[in-house]
Amino acid sequence: MKRIKIDPVTRLEGHGKIEIFLDDDGNVAETYFQVPELRGFEQFCVGRHAEDMPVITNRICGVCPEAHHMASVKALDMLFGVDPPPAAKKVRELLYMAFYVTDHTTHFYALGGPDFIVGPDADPRERNILGVVRKVGVDIGREVIATRARNHDVIRMIGGRAVHPAAGVPGGWSKPVSEPERIVIEEAARRNVDFALFSLKIFHDVVLASPVYRQLIESGVYLHRTYSMGTVDARNAVNFYDGMIRVVDPDGAEFVRYHPREYAEHIEEHVESWSYMKFPFLRRIGWKGFVDGPESGVYAATPLTRLNAADRMATPGAQEHFEELFATMGGGTVNGRRRPIHHRLATHWARLVELLYAAERMLELATDPEITSPDVRIVPTTVKGVGIGSVEAPRGTLTHHYESDERGVLTKVNLIVGTTNNAAPIAMSVKRAAKELIRNGTVIEQGLLNRIEMAFRLYDPCFSCATHALPGEMPLTVSIRDPRGGVIRTLARGVPV
Amino acid sequence: MRTVIVGLGNPVLSDDGLGIHAARALREVLPADEEVDVREAYAGGLRVVEAIAGYDRAVIVDALWSGEVKPGTIVRLSLDDLRRSRNALSLHDLDLPTALALGAMTGLHVPPRIEFWGVEVGDARTFSEFLTAPVQESLPVVVAQVRAYVASGFTAQAEEACA
Repeated sequence: MKRIKIDPVTRLEGHGKIEIFLDDDGNVAETYFQVPELRGFEQFCVGRHAEDMPVITNRICGVCPEAHHMASVKALDMLFGVDPPPAAKKVRELLYMAFYVTDHTTHFYALGGPDFIVGPDADPRERNILGVVRKVGVDIGREVIATRARNHDVIRMIGGRAVHPAAGVPGGWSKPVSEPERIVIEEAARRNVDFALFSLKIFHDVVLASPVYRQLIESGVYLHRTYSMGTVDARNAVNFYDGMIRVVDPDGAEFVRYHPREYAEHIEEHVESWSYMKFPFLRRIGWKGFVDGPESGVYAATPLTRLNAADRMATPGAQEHFEELFATMGGGTVNGRRRPIHHRLATHWARLVELLYAAERMLELATDPEITSPDVRIVPTTVKGVGIGSVEAPRGTLTHHYESDERGVLTKVNLIVGTTNNAAPIAMSVKRAAKELIRNGTVIEQGLLNRIEMAFRLYDPCFSCATHALPGEMPLTVSIRDPRGGVIRTLARGVPV
Repeated sequence: MRTVIVGLGNPVLSDDGLGIHAARALREVLPADEEVDVREAYAGGLRVVEAIAGYDRAVIVDALWSGEVKPGTIVRLSLDDLRRSRNALSLHDLDLPTALALGAMTGLHVPPRIEFWGVEVGDARTFSEFLTAPVQESLPVVVAQVRAYVASGFTAQAEEACA
């Protein structure tokens, strides 16, 4: 067997490594997608006070601390047996929507978008946000910066601290939103709505209008007919902050709808000897390997699958674009439900529909009469001992599970983070890309690296907290090995060979 | 001249927290009347550019992993060192040169002078609030170097600052 290895040799522990094994005919036999292990999180937490977790867990990731903060405070609500006042839930959700706008904006313009706006096969030096700015205009760059800035301000205002919020407490939120703050937040939300609509227009004008990109999105490269997971409200509309977990099968029929605290009854984690990452799957279906279809317990939890799992969006503009997405990419209806979209590159479009939803929901909350209520906390008086909290992180369903003794000292901590849900689908997409570009020993070099990166990027994966690396090198090296493991060829990007 | 020092890192991931430890120490030792702000940042690229925008000079302190030098080794890097790579430092953000270029293109005031201090990590994979011994030993040296460098108005050589 020949081996191709793609190894990002950085200081950064958090990034993935891909190994591609070829058969004797030079075709892809197997791909292995690996992430290095981060050690000792549970030991780090056990013995601490449970109420410290919202601040500790928001440190485990520099990318989505707000998501960890929210899942953590929700777990504490349950652990301390307290239901926050309605205003507190709204304040939490308001901060969370500002975070979503920032995160989805950054992903589309800086990471996912360049492949489409600049071109999938453009020079890597152009295929970035600078290329987007050159193509679409400098105003778009200013808008991205301004969108991040105004939402960071909102997060700081509500969360008490920029980036890593500190205001979430069991039973609610530690400070109410004042009327002068609300006015600023409402204005930010209005501008977010405009920006989201503008982003969808760019997607239409540049991506959907181009036959080349349309063909790429609709091609079979990243087509996986898996189960789809997402959080829905009582009307089965997408919700990021709270609701029931709904899973639909590859044809769109509801497979299960459960409360997040029942996650362990429905989700099991498969372990592979070659990976520190666990591969969650639907317990009732079972693990059948890295394969799709209704017989395989593999599911995905992404912007696209959240839309697949829901019946609608809860806000009008997002609903309009949701319908357009399914009318364009979907396969009609079966038994009254839309068929899910399985072309994974459509995740980028779904992310923009979610961007608009987050902006519209932020505006609804900012203009809710209750949002400035001073009644934002119920102080807990008991310790129940078990707390499970869940939110939709931008990159998938995020679950925090804590157990404590009667004093509230932690005895057990388990997290299923957004990306983990997608571990198996990412491995499948990487394999598909590799198969597409390695045939009978012929490797399309530039295309291989980029198509594999595109497979990663559509899931927006997050492998650890360590995402702040300097000096900023994330070289990819591809070693093609003969059946005895000898290197016969090396491709590299960003590193001297 | 407004100066900012940014400590970059994760404070609960062993040596990865070097930059954060350095920022906290620098905040203690820098005279309050100097026009120097000290910030902590947890993610690279755009977040760093946003942290240093509006300043005239910036120092960034971070943990590094090259695998080529001993843990605790202090490494000075220039912006050119970073420009050699065009790849993302993070799957979620831009690499710093791209983020700086975006800032400049869109009219942010990006400091013309940016200096980097890096310290080679021993362990950046284990959740802990503590640095490993060799990195802990280098921490006061980095703090002294950065302090002296900033006090000199960005003119001292690193070696002189070290002495």
